Formats: sequence, structure tokens, C-alpha cells
Amino acid sequence: MSETHEHAARLLSAYQAQEKRFVERRFPLRFAPEVPALRELYSQAKGFRWNPETDIPWSRFEPERYTKDTREAARRTWSRRAWGIYPGLTESTALLIRFCLESGGLGMDSKLFLSFRPAEEAKHLEVCHMLAERLGGYEPDPGDAGLARASNHPFAQAALDPDLPVEAYIAALGAVDDQLDLNLHLSHLQHAKDDVVRTALRLIAGDRQRHVTFAWTLLGSRVPALDASARAAVVETVNEMLSSVILGGYRNTWLLPEASREPWLHAEEQTARAGLGASTAAQERSVLRATLAQVRERFTVWKLDLAPLKHPDLGTV
Amino acid sequence: MLVDKERSEAYVPEQRYPLALSSAMPDVWELWRRAKTLEWDPQVDIPWEELHPERYSADQLLAAQMYWSRRTWGEYGAISESPALLLRFCLERRLPDLQFFFTMRTMEEGRHAEASWLMAERLGRYFPQPQNPPTAGAVGTHGVRRMAFDPETSLEGVFASLVCAAEEILIDVFKATVHKATNPAVRRLMELILRDEVRHIAFGWQCLDAWAPSFTPETVRSMEAAVVTMIENVEFRGYRNLWLAIEGGSATPAEIDADRISCEAGLGGNTPEDEMAVFPEFLKKLRKRMAPWGVRIPMFDHPRLGQV
Repeated sequence: MSETHEHAARLLSAYQAQEKRFVERRFPLRFAPEVPALRELYSQAKGFRWNPETDIPWSRFEPERYTKDTREAARRTWSRRAWGIYPGLTESTALLIRFCLESGGLGMDSKLFLSFRPAEEAKHLEVCHMLAERLGGYEPDPGDAGLARASNHPFAQAALDPDLPVEAYIAALGAVDDQLDLNLHLSHLQHAKDDVVRTALRLIAGDRQRHVTFAWTLLGSRVPALDASARAAVVETVNEMLSSVILGGYRNTWLLPEASREPWLHAEEQTARAGLGASTAAQERSVLRATLAQVRERFTVWKLDLAPLKHPDLGTV
Repeated sequence: MLVDKERSEAYVPEQRYPLALSSAMPDVWELWRRAKTLEWDPQVDIPWEELHPERYSADQLLAAQMYWSRRTWGEYGAISESPALLLRFCLERRLPDLQFFFTMRTMEEGRHAEASWLMAERLGRYFPQPQNPPTAGAVGTHGVRRMAFDPETSLEGVFASLVCAAEEILIDVFKATVHKATNPAVRRLMELILRDEVRHIAFGWQCLDAWAPSFTPETVRSMEAAVVTMIENVEFRGYRNLWLAIEGGSATPAEIDADRISCEAGLGGNTPEDEMAVFPEFLKKLRKRMAPWGVRIPMFDHPRLGQV
């Protein structure tokens, strides 16, 4: 058995062991809406469907208008973005399975919503790939262990971990990480000048707005009923996500260990200057601070206090 | 908890790079492309105003409600269970075509579940569970999630049994009976489901065709075993049609007869005569399709179908 197969077998066994810890009670299987706002998000997902191949005016995209250096920078930026989107395929799928395993015949609003999300993530991934290809070629490998580590976390396994309350998972991945990701996309959109890139970012941001709203709405429907231990797990998980993952450079290249930042950081700066769908480090810094404030404030409403974060460059945030 | 478990490797580290995204299976990629152009919404793309439940008798409505409720439970399995296959594709770092297409399949199955539930509701009532609890075991699960997460179960076996065989009989019956659905709303829904399912089954066969050159004798045996299990433990337990259940003791007569009554009313479903015509043909087709790979599907004895 090759090393790759052995590793895949280990991974599958880990998922299998987690799955076996749940007892699914499928019946009675209820379909009527329980949280109308979540069902509405599902309805919106059906109504706002789009196709990366036909709803982005690719024929108007003129990469040759940009210098070779700029194209090289932008292809790197969109490649790195694809790596950041890819985990959504497995994470949202694992979360869907978790809901099915855990909530039995209930929670259909979330399940229907999550049945759509992997396809939306795949469309976003396709957009990133198409842009990178048109700008000179998609780069499949960071080629740097630090960046590979920072952009590769086993969060899909965490979604199926019965020891981790699903609310804690959604708070960390949905309310924090997805919110930051959305805000960054909106920043990229704000600074993008190329019409084709703007269309791509607008379509992606529209879906991601729904994903973030799902997380906050679901938490709003569940957090008030959580016991002390689950509430503590939410706070602990969000704190971990922020301090070890987000501040470790999961979404922001300028937060990566210094040795792993280049050539990606330079590429993003150049992509941002050319209006091809990125933000400068300074712009991203503002987005991150605003997101942290936004998240902290929303959690405070539920009396969930997040710890202050200390970072050598950012200070206490 | 999240990061602690990652650091301690309680969560097995994933190897994601190099992350290939370019198509390597053009036929499968074409299915992904087509799926994106053929999205539909059960709420708006079915002519619900033409359903007219008031035109049917109470018995016909009850049968159709039961039929569409059971379809809902079956489609739900594709939300609850089949997505595990997408995880397996990603964890085993299978070609991107498989991963992209399967995201759409999950979405489509969710749509089918919602549409089937809506149909039952609009015919008067959705039943959230079988009338007798033991039937839940037969109609509740086909076990694909467990198989998908089991490294000892070959992916080829899962494809042969559940992505190909189970989907093939489903669409064969749909194809053979869609003309009997005289109700325009029901017929449109069946056509839309059929259109999606044709892609799902094409996906299964295209993958197996592509993998066939690498099948080992062990792979072939696992495919044979998986197909036999699917026929005997899923189809012949009544997962799709309770009339086929060899030991259908826990299903009520009304549930068993629901497909026929609904079908005869033009509200979807099929009759025992349909099953007797379609099922043997399906098995013949399956044997013929898999024979070039060395897969031998045995004959089955069924109390009502005979030896098939």
C-alpha cells in the first residue's frame, strides 16, 4: 500500500470512528420549517443560483492589459484564494452529516441549507481557478511548509467530533472565520477596478453573506438555550480559532510567519494596486480589527465574553 | 479544544497539497457543467396550481401521500448519507471532477427531498414516519455513509452498488412509469427528478468505466459482493418499494399497496406489474454492463418476482 493510500485509510478510519459515536434517529423525519429565517436562507440560495461559466463576462476579461509582473502576482493571489476556499467543500459537507447524525429528524432548515453549500463553495473554487488560469496559470502548491501548514487545518474532522458542540464549531468557523472571509471579500470588491473581477467577487460575496447569516441565525436560535459547559466550549473554541488560526495567517498573508509571507504578500499588494481583486496589508488590517470588534460585540449580546488577543504587530485586539 | 486536538493529532493531519483543480475526466466535468445549467426550484418550477388534490378520492390521496412521503425518506438518505462519499473523494484526493460534480449531486438530492415532501404536503399530508416502527429499518437507510467511511470497503464497490445499481433501478422504474403520471404537477416533478438522476447514474458508470483498467480480482469480488448486498438487503427489504420486501411483515397493507393505488390514480408510483417487468430487465442490464469488467451478478430468488 502506498504512503498516500495509507494516509487516506488513516483519515477515513478517523472519520469512521467519529461517525460511530453518534446514534442517528431518523424518524419521525420532519420537514416543516422550524426556524423560518434559516428556511428563508435556503430559499434564497435556490433563487440566487449562478453559474461561474456564464454569469461572469469572461469574454470581456483582458489579462493582456496588465503587465507580466501584475499577471504573475494576480495568478498567485487567486491561487492562494482557491486554497482558502477548498476546505469549505469538506467542512460544510461534514457539518451537514453532523446535523443529520445529531438532530435526527429535526433541524431540516439547516440540513437543506447545508445541502447547497458545498456546491456554492465549488463554484467559488471554480471562479478562483478560472481567474488564476486566465492570468497565467493556477498554482497548485504553496511550495512552503509554513503556508501549507497555516492554510491546512483538519476542521472537517472537527465538524464530526461529538466532543465539540456543534454551536462551538459554527461559532468558530461560521461566525468568526466566515465573517472575516466575507469582510475580506467585500474589501477586495471595494478596491477592485477590473469589471470582470468585480463581478466574480460580487457573486462570491453574495453567497458568503448568506453563509455568515446562516451561522449567526443558527447561533441566535440555539445559544440562549445552551448550558454553562456548552457556552464555555463556544468561548474556548472561538478564542482558539482567533488566536491560533486567524492570527496565524489562515486568511491573511501578512499574519503568516515572516519566512512564509513571500512571494504571496508582494503578490497581493501588486494585485490590489492593479485592482485585480485583493486588498493591501493595511486595508486587511482594518478589516480584521473591524471584524474582531463586530464579532466581539455580537457575542457580548449573548453574554459570551471573548478574551483579548495579543499580537506582536497588532498589539492587543 | 479545536486547536488542541489538531496539535495533539487527535484529528489526523490532512495532506492537501498539491491541490489539483483542473479537469482530468472530461465526461464527468461535462456533468458538472450541465448540472450548473439545469438547476431548478421545487417551489417555483412545478405547476402546483395544476395539482388539484380535490379531484381525487380519499383513498387515492392517502396512497399518494404515503408514496411521496416514502420518497422523501429515501431522498433524505442522499442528504444524510451520500455526502460521505464527497468526503471520501477529498480525503483520498481523487480527481477534482469527482469532487466538483458530487457537490451538485448533494444539492440536487436536497432538492428532491424538499420536492417530494412538498408533493406529499400539497396532496394533503406528509407522513414523518412509517406506520410501524420496524419498517423504519427497511426504508430508512441504505448504509452508504458507513460504507463510504470504511477504508476496507472499496470505492468501486460503493459505486457499483449504490451509485450505479441503486440509482439505475430508480430511474428505470421512473422512466417506465412517468407516462402514467397523468397529473401535470406530479409528472413535471418526476421529469425534473429523472433529469437529475440521469446525470447521477451517468457519473457512476463513467467513473467505473474510467477505473476499470485498474480493477484487481479483489476489486471485482468487492463489487460483486456490494451489488448482491444492495439487491438483497436494500431492494428486497423494500427500501424503494415495500411490495418488494421479502419479509415485509412490519409494513401495513396500506403502505404496501400505496404505490399501486397512487400510480393508478396518476399521482406517481408504480404497480407490482411494473416492478415485475422492470426489475428483471434491470438485473439483466446490470449483468451485461458489468460483465466486461469480470463482475458476475448471480441469480436471485424472490417470492413474487421468481428467479431473476
